[in-house]
Amino acid sequence: MSETIKSISFALGMCLVCGILLTAAATGLQPRQEKNRLSDRQKNVLYTVDLASRDKTYTPEQIRDIYEKNIDEIRVSAAGEIAEPAEDRAGQDGQVLTIYLYTKNGEIQNYIIPIESQGLWGKIYGYMALENDGSTVAGFTVYEHSETPGLGGEIEKQWFQENFEGKKIVDRTGGFVAVQIAKGDVDKRVPEEKEPHYVDGISGATLTGRYLSEGLEKTLARYEPVSLCFRKQRLSCRLQEPTDSGEK
Amino acid sequence: MKLTRTKAFKTFAGPAWYENPINMQMLGICSALAVTVQLKTAFVMTLAMTFVVSMSNLIISLLRNVIPGNIRIIVELAVIASLVILADEFLRAYYFEISKLLSVFVGLIITNCIILGRAEGFALSNPPHLAFIDGLGNGVGYGSVLMSVALIRELFGSGSIFGYTVVPERLYAAGYEDMGLMLLAPAAFIIIGLMAWLQKYLVNSRK
Repeated sequence: MSETIKSISFALGMCLVCGILLTAAATGLQPRQEKNRLSDRQKNVLYTVDLASRDKTYTPEQIRDIYEKNIDEIRVSAAGEIAEPAEDRAGQDGQVLTIYLYTKNGEIQNYIIPIESQGLWGKIYGYMALENDGSTVAGFTVYEHSETPGLGGEIEKQWFQENFEGKKIVDRTGGFVAVQIAKGDVDKRVPEEKEPHYVDGISGATLTGRYLSEGLEKTLARYEPVSLCFRKQRLSCRLQEPTDSGEK
Repeated sequence: MKLTRTKAFKTFAGPAWYENPINMQMLGICSALAVTVQLKTAFVMTLAMTFVVSMSNLIISLLRNVIPGNIRIIVELAVIASLVILADEFLRAYYFEISKLLSVFVGLIITNCIILGRAEGFALSNPPHLAFIDGLGNGVGYGSVLMSVALIRELFGSGSIFGYTVVPERLYAAGYEDMGLMLLAPAAFIIIGLMAWLQKYLVNSRK
């Protein structure tokens, strides 16, 4: 009997010590980790519009400088109107969309939308940049996922992400179609008229591809009012306003 | 007494060479396949692994007389898991890029059979300083194989060492190409197989 009590008390003591140690480490290192994560997200935004190259390494300060100089973060309502900051704080989830604008010489070059998708094992987070014509993909990145390394994990690789460049989210008649991930190579699996809307899939990761396709379609559909705004009449688009006044 | 005759040296050299965990005991192969595409990741993995195995050996050896026998495996795992999480949190805070490259494999150190094997087989029955040295020896033994495999894979697979290109442009212009196979897991299997053969031959021919 005393043996059992000894075991239980030892186990409890052990849990306590390990628990305290890990909690201390996690809370102590959290600010640094948060900073790293923010810098990583900013870097991924820059990747989508080719302001940073995947082949080079940058210090967090360099990333912040490039980011702050070129990228504006704004929030718009689901209808495509610019949301006031107060509205944003009201916290109507799903009502307010975040977009990032890349402006050069006072003109919006790209708008970047955050991607949040279901994956096979967990959420996939990334960014997709679209050209200011509102229909062409300029870049795509993934910065956080829990897919299997070597299979679904390939979504974080350059070759996969580069496939997205130049793809169209609308068909020839102007209807919204999003971008899908093919099962295999696009030129073998997809009829020619649909090729602009498909990217090469990853072998061994059919499910990851399927989930990500769904996620992309859902996200792009939510941002469709913004895209429509860019597609229709760029100059009178209300998105222009904050940057115009900012330039003057 | 000569240095090579001391017990401490033998404790270190045993796992580092004669009983090398990967080449001689065929343990820890999974991570050796996964993180050896680049030297940088292999190096960080070596450090993390050496830290975990030597510290867990030390702690378990210190506790060896108070750990109740019936829950000892659980206690060992709790110690190992805590150390691995510490290493992972530390990497995430200070070496974020590398921790992203290593992805799940830092966390998977917990399941590396070398560590539990040393805790159970050595630390429970030896004094702390020897247990710590044994951990270092295992870390070095594991790491040296990892680094050699990574050196071969990175040199022939990407033409670089620690990320610096070493294969001259002229060679590429003359028609040289990087071996794609080296970047894939099967290459690590082949290299580890050849290295195990070589080391077994060397160790046996000494006897």
